[in-house]
Amino acid sequence: MSAKLKRTIVAWAVLSPLIVLILFPFAVMFITAIKPQQEVLRPTWWPSRIAWQNFIDMWSVTNFGPALWNSVYVAVLSTLLALVVSIPAAYALNRYRFAGQGFFRQFLLVSQMLSPMVLVIGLFRLVVWLGLLDNVNSVVFVYGAFAVAFTVLMLQSYFATIPRDLEEAAWVEGASAWKALIRVFLPLALPAITVTAIFAFINSWNEFVIALTMLRRQESYTLPIQIFSLVAGRYTVEWHHVMAATFVATIPVAIVFAWLQRYLVRGLAIGAVK
Amino acid sequence: MTRSPVTNPYLLVLPGFLLAAFIILWPLYQLGVISLSEVNRFGQLRGFAGFDNYVAVFTDREFLGALWRTFIWTFGIVFGALIVSVPVALVLNEDFYGRSIARVIVMLPWAVSLTMTAIVWRWALNGESGMLNSGLRALGLIDTNIQWLARASTAFPMQILIGILVTIPFTTTIFLGGLSSIPDDLYEAARLEGANRWQTFRRITLPLMRPFLNIALVLNMIYVFNSFPIIWATTQGGPANSTDILVTYLYKLGFRFGKLGEASALSIMMFALLLAFTIAYVALAMRSERR
Repeated sequence: MSAKLKRTIVAWAVLSPLIVLILFPFAVMFITAIKPQQEVLRPTWWPSRIAWQNFIDMWSVTNFGPALWNSVYVAVLSTLLALVVSIPAAYALNRYRFAGQGFFRQFLLVSQMLSPMVLVIGLFRLVVWLGLLDNVNSVVFVYGAFAVAFTVLMLQSYFATIPRDLEEAAWVEGASAWKALIRVFLPLALPAITVTAIFAFINSWNEFVIALTMLRRQESYTLPIQIFSLVAGRYTVEWHHVMAATFVATIPVAIVFAWLQRYLVRGLAIGAVK
Repeated sequence: MTRSPVTNPYLLVLPGFLLAAFIILWPLYQLGVISLSEVNRFGQLRGFAGFDNYVAVFTDREFLGALWRTFIWTFGIVFGALIVSVPVALVLNEDFYGRSIARVIVMLPWAVSLTMTAIVWRWALNGESGMLNSGLRALGLIDTNIQWLARASTAFPMQILIGILVTIPFTTTIFLGGLSSIPDDLYEAARLEGANRWQTFRRITLPLMRPFLNIALVLNMIYVFNSFPIIWATTQGGPANSTDILVTYLYKLGFRFGKLGEASALSIMMFALLLAFTIAYVALAMRSERR
């Protein structure tokens, strides 16, 4: 037996208990989502037939469409809000030396860690004060503002890898600072901006407690709150619909995340552990 | 030559700074004011109350229970995830067939929102028709259904287990980053000196992984301490507040019981604790950066 084959057997053997535990909830989600209604409450693992119909029924029963729209709206706008203020800040942090720079960096590192959870009552008052309760824009604002620390740190760690010479060459050629920024720097920074944007998007997409607090009418629910509302405090839960909704709300984002996860680690690692 | 705004770093930094500072400082100021005031359940301030709200929090039996459970919750998950993640990272760092698939599977829980994960588990742990019970019965491990979420003695350990599962991906990733930063020649040298695997691990891997272990520890403590969805979406702190941790208890105080003064006092104290941890983390990160 070759050494690698041996290693393979040992590796999978060591990982297998964990893998079973990790895949278990996915199996539960998927199997329940395709079970015919009358079998859902029966304690059997496998459905007698695959009820794809669940996914179609789920759409209207769980009010999926409007919640999906709210989630997309909130995630896109909050990401844009964060990016618009973060890109210049990250650029300045990276390209200039200025008094207060160290303070700004530390401020970002600290505020990145402060979760909205402990501020939720103050945030609630803020949203009431702004007159935005039950309005998805309140969530856009809070998500966007909380994302700033993360996006600036992530962007500036990537901007550091873009060589300065190209902008300087553009200046020598007579381009204004604006022009050099827009024509030379931003195209090079586009991949970094895209990756950062996707992570900000996923964070907003998955957020729970702020949405739970600020959005109290069904028309304003985002997906996590909508699906949670189908489960919490109800005597009968249509689990096959809930699981189908969870599946559709989760899997596309999960695939993107799994694919991009190594960039996040790189960004985090550059930001935290050099 | 006129100075373009693009070359003024303060103008570039300002909007981001203001937004990030405002979203923390304004609520914080509000919390400070409310926590020192007498307030009714509609949030109207009724005058100065000194530290009454703080005292009220500390004399609340539910609070002390939640505090103790937060302690178990945080340490249980952080160390549970640590103990599992070290061997998992070591294995994933080896070269074997299907390693990239294994990596993706281990990272999967990170990719799903905690709310959704918790909702799926809530169903899986259902006492009558949950698939955990039917799975365990089919394997012959139990013969009567367990009402997992009906009692704190089974619900809370399950919630901690879910917490560990979703914390493993992040922890493992940090460790994988650490492992890949250890130069191969060190292992080569150790091999030539005749060191066995355990010695190599003790004398080379572990010391060089130190900063990464510390970072993972502190970051996870902060994340887990703040983690709300797992408990809220499985039991909402119930039955009878017996699975409440500080964050869920805080939420109930503020938005269910209408005790805004006490909730704000608790928020301020948790914020202070969090800030202390965060500053420890930043100091740690800066130190390893300087090295």
